[in-house]
Amino acid sequence: MRIAIPKGRLQDETLALFAAAEYDVPSAADLATRRLVFSRGEIEWIFVKDCDVPVYVEHGAADAGVAGLDQLLEHGSTAYQPIQLPFGRCRMMLIGAPDAPELASLTVAKIATKYPRIARQYCDRRGLRADIIPLGGSVELAAVLNLTSHVIDLVETGTTIRIHNLVIEDLVAEISPRLIVGKDVYRTSPELVREMLARVGAAVERNQLTCAS
Amino acid sequence: MAKRLRYPTGVRPLLVEETARRRSSESKIVSILERAGFAEVVLPIIDYVEPYAATGQIDGRQSYRFVDRDGELVSVRSDFTPLLARALAPSLQPSLLPLRVFYRGDVIRYAPSRLGANREIFQIGAEIIGDDTPAADAEAMGLVSSILRAFGISPRIIYTDATIPESIGGGAREALAMKRGGEGTSPLLAKLIAGSATTADLRQSPETRAVAERLDAIARLAGDDCSAHLDDVDAEPGYYTGLRFRAYDAATRITLAQGGRYDSLYGRFGADTPAVGFTLTIDDLTEGVPARNDGGQA
Repeated sequence: MRIAIPKGRLQDETLALFAAAEYDVPSAADLATRRLVFSRGEIEWIFVKDCDVPVYVEHGAADAGVAGLDQLLEHGSTAYQPIQLPFGRCRMMLIGAPDAPELASLTVAKIATKYPRIARQYCDRRGLRADIIPLGGSVELAAVLNLTSHVIDLVETGTTIRIHNLVIEDLVAEISPRLIVGKDVYRTSPELVREMLARVGAAVERNQLTCAS
Repeated sequence: MAKRLRYPTGVRPLLVEETARRRSSESKIVSILERAGFAEVVLPIIDYVEPYAATGQIDGRQSYRFVDRDGELVSVRSDFTPLLARALAPSLQPSLLPLRVFYRGDVIRYAPSRLGANREIFQIGAEIIGDDTPAADAEAMGLVSSILRAFGISPRIIYTDATIPESIGGGAREALAMKRGGEGTSPLLAKLIAGSATTADLRQSPETRAVAERLDAIARLAGDDCSAHLDDVDAEPGYYTGLRFRAYDAATRITLAQGGRYDSLYGRFGADTPAVGFTLTIDDLTEGVPARNDGGQA
């Protein structure tokens, strides 16, 4: 079975979860080699950019993986999402530039975002007319420099927003990472998948019990 | 200059060898279908959008549409099944039923192109019209199995009933499509999500008893390549009203055919007739699918 691990903010907790589920995961020393593929027993671990995990799983290049709801929505992923993970949760927010009018009051607004599909759906849902400006990163800067009146981006601590006097205007979506499974592997090797889900699900429950006690 | 070399995304020509392979595969499938009593029909490559709009049977997001010179909105063929229903419905006579027909040709779909997926897809499909029995369901799956075996493929056919979520209610479709329940998930739904539910579980509830009986009847008639996966539910039911199946190459896990039963589709075009059928994408059989690269493991 091939499992895609997202590099970046979710990587360490994802590996810790699989380790808690008694999988032999690559060590820190392994990862320092900069290899992207590690075979451990029955599992092949691959390390990909977080936004690419849904693509690998959707097209069967990986059987399962961990991806944030932000990436799943942006890709329109149809992979199964059987387990919501208890870490890495954050919010996707509509954020206004300092002194910018509310989005709803603008005739044609401009929204910068790394998530053009989600932004378009959000505007459609609210009946807002807006130009979506896709950016690759540091999205808040677009509002700080008045490239756009608003941005849609993930907010974890809110520090960047406070430092730049930006204004949170609306919640777009609650974001949580999910264990995702490709439909084809689920249909053709259900026993294999369900065994993995049972182990990871049990690890998640143990984690939640530990946090609660 | 660049356009002298490249084609629009998702389309490409087939040159001599590929064309020969496709035609050879096509002939093999057509001869199996004809031996099984299916007769060919030819369907138009474009059609008006309006007759399908009222039925909601063509997904506007996946078809190419344009306004023709008469000012009519038309759509390029993206799914054979509704076209066949519209074509046959006005002339279906009870004395002609059950009718076994097949069709072949391109469908054009606007699909994400990140992996270079084809937008022009050559398909062969077959339908049994006017037979609502489990035997017709089993016959459709059996035919797919025979075709795949003729290509040296070991098929794995997975089937369910598309109406299970509506029979259960309470957000069952979304939960099954995600494979995740919530706090209010019923024991039956939880069992379905976990993949441990059987038709015996469905028989316990009056809402799902008829579905269970139908699936059991299909199971008695279906071949060894077929197995029921009750939880295999699509996020959108589409036009399916009963059996829903997909056929895989057991070795590569690639989907090679899919189909099901759509008993209300013909009614939307004026003929209250049940139907069951399937489509195969020819190039998936012709080209085969390479084994996954191991990526240079550590």
